[in-house]
Amino acid sequence: MTAVTTDAGPTPGTAGPTPIRLIRSEFRKLRTTNAWWLFLLGALVMLGLAILFNWLQADFVFNGPDTEGLSEEDAATVLAQANPIFQAANLYTSGQFFGLLFVMMVGIIIVTSEFHHQTATATFLTSPHRTAVIMAKLVVAALFGVGLWLVSLLVNVPATIGILGVYDQPAMLDEWPVQRAILLNLLAYALWGVLGIGLGVLIRSQLGATITAAVLYLIGTTAVTLGVFLLQQWLGAEWIDELQYIFPSVASGLMVSGTSLPGQPPYWVGALILVGWAVVTGVVGTLITRRRDIS
Amino acid sequence: MSDGQIVVSHLTKHYPKVRAVDDLSFTVEPGRVTGFLGPNGAGKTTTLRMLLNLVKPTSGTATIGGRRYADLPQPLRQVGAVLEASSAHRGRTGRNHLRVIAAAAGIPDRRVDEVLALVGLTPAARRKFKGYSMGMRQRLGIAGAMLGDPQVLILDEPANGLDPEGIRWMRDLLQKLASEGRTILVSSHLLSEMQLLADDVVIIAAGKLVTQGTVDEVIGGMSEAGRVRVRTPDPERLTAELGEKATVEPGRDGVLLVTGVDAPEVGAAALRAGVELHELVTERPDLERVFLELTAGKEAIR
Repeated sequence: MTAVTTDAGPTPGTAGPTPIRLIRSEFRKLRTTNAWWLFLLGALVMLGLAILFNWLQADFVFNGPDTEGLSEEDAATVLAQANPIFQAANLYTSGQFFGLLFVMMVGIIIVTSEFHHQTATATFLTSPHRTAVIMAKLVVAALFGVGLWLVSLLVNVPATIGILGVYDQPAMLDEWPVQRAILLNLLAYALWGVLGIGLGVLIRSQLGATITAAVLYLIGTTAVTLGVFLLQQWLGAEWIDELQYIFPSVASGLMVSGTSLPGQPPYWVGALILVGWAVVTGVVGTLITRRRDIS
Repeated sequence: MSDGQIVVSHLTKHYPKVRAVDDLSFTVEPGRVTGFLGPNGAGKTTTLRMLLNLVKPTSGTATIGGRRYADLPQPLRQVGAVLEASSAHRGRTGRNHLRVIAAAAGIPDRRVDEVLALVGLTPAARRKFKGYSMGMRQRLGIAGAMLGDPQVLILDEPANGLDPEGIRWMRDLLQKLASEGRTILVSSHLLSEMQLLADDVVIIAAGKLVTQGTVDEVIGGMSEAGRVRVRTPDPERLTAELGEKATVEPGRDGVLLVTGVDAPEVGAAALRAGVELHELVTERPDLERVFLELTAGKEAIR
């Protein structure tokens, strides 16, 4: 053939969209637009604020909190929080609340930008196997979460050691509950990327999905906690209090608590619930994408 | 390379309120430019999207080289498609847009620079897509379709938004690609352009096939074929000489439009009658007239 035809790559037969290639492609998509560093920047700012906030909390409990006048239950909670391991785990996982929000946002944008910018056509022409495309997106969103976890850890470790030192506390990085909290925090960061992909598939509108997610996350968390509290007061049953942990953001907070507070389910319940959410949104999202007409 | 014949067979797409494509069958041959014509809303885009596995058919099949698009092991190396001019991320550069596609298809990055050069987009390669003109966007789309050096090229309304120079460029490129033995399927509602570009045409209206054939066949098969335009200072004598067989309509400036006889007969009649002729032309109906006649009454909004 003529000049139009040139070598288009290695021998045919070795080419085509493989899982690794799809992941590489999704990475390029993320890296060649602005969303990732804007969210990283936002996460860093919020991380700084979170460390300050957690420091204040640590300051309060390490200076011998006054439990006088508190109910027996509240006093037990305050005392449990005064546990240095609880405080260490809390400090080492600083920034989780907003970090997870930003990871979810990136997951949402990874999906919705395909429809917002009509690049879904090119994507699915390149790889007609849509399940493979969604899997690659899940991997990239989860890896973005892992990256953000790593960044937050790199800030949290020196900051926490410094703060603990102020109160003559050891670093406590050799304590299993602390290590466990840090590792489960990693799981949370990865799973929230998956949740974002699922949500992005369910709500294709970029603006609609991001706003819904932010509102659910920021206001929903409080609303659920409050709603469950009121319901429990009204019906008077203890178990109703546990219902709030079904909500993903409450579940991920539970997952990284270093030691259990009175009346809290164990940390692994939070982990299981979050894995459940990730699986459900991931599977539903994949099924919807497989059936959807791209036009 | 497999032969790049496209076979559309009883393809049907029903939406809740409309039959966008209705039992449509046609074939597209390699080595030719095939125009896919129909009024707006005829189902052209839906048909192309079903062919490319983007829209699920209600029934029927569409194959490229004997396989469904979803079954092609390396789709981009077999089929290149340009479906919308605005299908890139606004904040991504043209070059990065292509690099994203190349990465997924396992095509090396140097090919990206080659196709950018092929479509004349090298100077704008590192500019963001939002700054591209319509013509540049079309060129980027074609660059993306050429990444895998495919046997089959499918373009949906590629002339939209192109200036005359861009249209000419596209025409030359597509004809050159067809001459290399590739299959080129181009949808359009711009008939005059298609008459210059296409070898074959497939005409649909209201989701159904109206006709398929070479441009000449489709035009030649029409009732209005062979109108002769003749200009003479003495129309009465010529009309009398032409006799009963011919139907003569007077046009402007002494022009007569004659049907029923061909140009040599008109010339012979003029010679017999000793009438001067200033013009003698066979007017072939153009694709546009054929198209309007064929699709009359079917282009109503559905």
